[in-house]
Amino acid sequence: MKTKAVKFLRYATILVFVLAIIRQITGASDLTSVGTASAALLLSVPIVLAGLGGLFSERSGVVNIGLEGMMVMGAWAGGMIGTKHGPWLGLLAAIVFGAVGALVHAIATITFGVDHVVSGVAINIIAMGLVRYLSTLLYKAGTWQGPSQSPDVNSIGTNSLPVLSGGNYFGWKSPDLLASLAEKHWFFISDLAAILRGITGDLSYVTVLAIAMVPLSLFVLWKTAFGLRLRSAGEAPIAAESLGVNVYAMKYAGVLISGGLAGLGGGFLAIVAANHYQENQVAGRGYIGLAALLFGNYRPGGIMMGAGLFGFADALQLRDSASVHALILLIVVVLAALVVRDIRKGKIVKAALTFAFAGLSLWYFMAVKELPGQLVTMTPYIATLLIMSLASQRLRMPAADGIPYRRGGLR
Amino acid sequence: MSVAVELRHISKRFPGVIANKDVSMSVETGTVHALVGENGAGKSTVMKILYGMQRPDSGEILVNGTTVHFKNPNDAIEASIGMVHQHFMLADNFTVLENVILGSEPQHGITIDFAAARTKVVEMAAQYGLEIDPDVLVEELGVGQRQRVEILKVLYRGARILIFDEPTAVLVPQEVDDLFNALKGLRAQGMAIIFISHKLDEVLRVADDVTVIRAGSTVAEVKSKDVTARQLAELMVGSELPQPSTHGDTRRPEITLALKDVSIPTKSGSRDLISHVTFNLHAGEVVGIAGVEGNGQAELVEAIMGLRDYTGVIEFSAANINDLSVAHRRDLGIGLIPEDRQRQAMMMESPLWENRILGHQRGKPVMNGFVLDMKTIMTDTKSIMEEFDVRAPGPQTLAAALSGGNQQKFIVGREMSKAPSLLVASHPTRGVDVGAQGAIWEELRRAREKGMAIVLISADLEELIGMSDRLLVMLRGVVTAELDPAKTTPEQLGSAMTGAS
Repeated sequence: MKTKAVKFLRYATILVFVLAIIRQITGASDLTSVGTASAALLLSVPIVLAGLGGLFSERSGVVNIGLEGMMVMGAWAGGMIGTKHGPWLGLLAAIVFGAVGALVHAIATITFGVDHVVSGVAINIIAMGLVRYLSTLLYKAGTWQGPSQSPDVNSIGTNSLPVLSGGNYFGWKSPDLLASLAEKHWFFISDLAAILRGITGDLSYVTVLAIAMVPLSLFVLWKTAFGLRLRSAGEAPIAAESLGVNVYAMKYAGVLISGGLAGLGGGFLAIVAANHYQENQVAGRGYIGLAALLFGNYRPGGIMMGAGLFGFADALQLRDSASVHALILLIVVVLAALVVRDIRKGKIVKAALTFAFAGLSLWYFMAVKELPGQLVTMTPYIATLLIMSLASQRLRMPAADGIPYRRGGLR
Repeated sequence: MSVAVELRHISKRFPGVIANKDVSMSVETGTVHALVGENGAGKSTVMKILYGMQRPDSGEILVNGTTVHFKNPNDAIEASIGMVHQHFMLADNFTVLENVILGSEPQHGITIDFAAARTKVVEMAAQYGLEIDPDVLVEELGVGQRQRVEILKVLYRGARILIFDEPTAVLVPQEVDDLFNALKGLRAQGMAIIFISHKLDEVLRVADDVTVIRAGSTVAEVKSKDVTARQLAELMVGSELPQPSTHGDTRRPEITLALKDVSIPTKSGSRDLISHVTFNLHAGEVVGIAGVEGNGQAELVEAIMGLRDYTGVIEFSAANINDLSVAHRRDLGIGLIPEDRQRQAMMMESPLWENRILGHQRGKPVMNGFVLDMKTIMTDTKSIMEEFDVRAPGPQTLAAALSGGNQQKFIVGREMSKAPSLLVASHPTRGVDVGAQGAIWEELRRAREKGMAIVLISADLEELIGMSDRLLVMLRGVVTAELDPAKTTPEQLGSAMTGAS
């Protein structure tokens, strides 16, 4: 574990260093600004939660395409209940609603053996229609903007790291060391400080809670008996059954936790990221969460990295399209690193392909001074796609994922 | 010695079939008790009943003298009965330790006490001679080691009565030896071991007592030291046994297959997988390739079929076929009975007529221009089934629904249907019952008389000696000896295979 953490820190430092160089070259100051980092974190949280939701479900052997629908239900409940009863109860309602969606999925797939993808897609479609229908029923002219948007929810408090990133503590105003460092415009040091300030300052409590879910999931799934049994249901259900594990219960637990996490992700979108529910607020984040799950190779840490990547690209495109242009250069650097790795491993064909792609990207970077708006909006999706297809990994999905299970497989 | 398990007059019927009828056996503690019978004789049903997976219609089960009624395997586990399944029940992506403790994890607060579990498993493994690294992933283990994990799982749950369901079916000889040593260790610790098998030589090696079951009923309970394999086999089938043998010399002058200096180098540059193999095979001749598994036989087959790159020359009917593809070689008249029928010879989830097409998908009689000739395929499949006594309802039956023996007879029939001039038969009778074994031998004999050249690879030494005109012994990829089967005993062949002589 320790070596892993060290490795991670080393890679993260290298990445920031590369970013700093690119910022210097291109002058795209938003690449490493406090605002970008903070927005990136905010944008990755729902994806982390969706990804962790997918993790619990798929580790128990149930494919959960329905994450999107569960997030939609969570977002709606967060907005509606949050408006009436305050943000915390709103979040609780989001979790419950997500879990209700998951319960439908669980009954369909586990008890009735419906194909997991079919059930998941059905839930996505039903969820969209259902929340729209409920909104129309609850809609009150005057206080509401319209049936597609709820009234505002009170915001949840924020928190910072004392001394390092400011904040107020019992009337004492903490210094903001990282922010002042970031303003010095020292090469690399200021870049690093800005990014750290961005991800540690003015954090919503919910963000902290959500990020804490990452180590918590790791702990639950890999250190407890419950986790071992849940994973055994996804790896070898018949073997698990032969050892007295209640595979159905484990799968139900996995899917329900999945729905709760996805619902929380939806609630986060409505209550923290925005301050009201709005139709189409989720906008495919459930699917991106699944992509992060695959990118992270069904591990919590990997999911966080995948979500962070997406969040970063998303934050850049929202804040400053010039930085997106600089991002192409980052892609070139990453591709070049992959080329070196592939050559070392002797995969010449793959290296050549990657090299050609790197060259193409570099040419595009040189040739085009400003990216067309549509392309800028697409950035996070393109980045996700690119990294997933090129950073070839040993993808290891749970062995019995998506395979309907019937008790009595022993016979 | 006390009786650990006793079955009294167990009967079980399924709709349409009587699986068990009046089965009785008694297993003493500190012994290995073998349950033998042909495939389909009802061995597995007996064990499923004893392990609580099925309930008997009538009869009594006694464990340590008291009558028990198991509703499910958990009840059996509670009564200290453990089952080592033939098809391993392991999660590949889990470590050995995780697999062993799953379902009864030692707790430390809310976490699993991995340290305590590891200590216990390592101690247990040492005690019973089942050493294994607890932290390695199961997917990295070989078959023999996986079986150790299965045994450890059962022991970890406190089993004193162990059921082994055909444990040697998947093992290579060396692993079988290890398993038998482990069994002896367990026996010495006072465990009662029930060993299900139809491999009689193994049964006689390891068991103290043998119960023979035929057509669902126990026909004999004997001490293993009082019987021979032959007597046991005759008890099993209830009649005389088929013999692997050929008559006379049917060898013809023309050379069907010639290997000249064939080697398969490894990528890493270490020892060649097979090295400078040279031999001629005449039409009407059977050459037996003897060797402990993993000494290059599989690679030799792949080279002949063109599945693997090799150096040297392979000639078929005096023409160099080095540059020909697998398809081309098969079209020329080379047939193959692969060693693993379920993986390499059949699509288990497909009907028999589709399996009939496999390997014959180019041209007549299967194809009629660009479309499948369904009518011919069906009649053809039926005639193969008749001719080779494949017992199945019809061409639409899924391959998976057939017993191993019937699957194998079907594969032999399929390969013979094209009357190849060369047949590469890799373990043609492995894992099939005595009846099917006799039938397959008979087919090979007839084909040989008609002038087919046969490369026979087998782990069954009697089969090799009985069926071959000539024996080549392979050791570490090299042909180390050529023997005349008429003057070779299984013991001599065995020691030649290990390089002892």
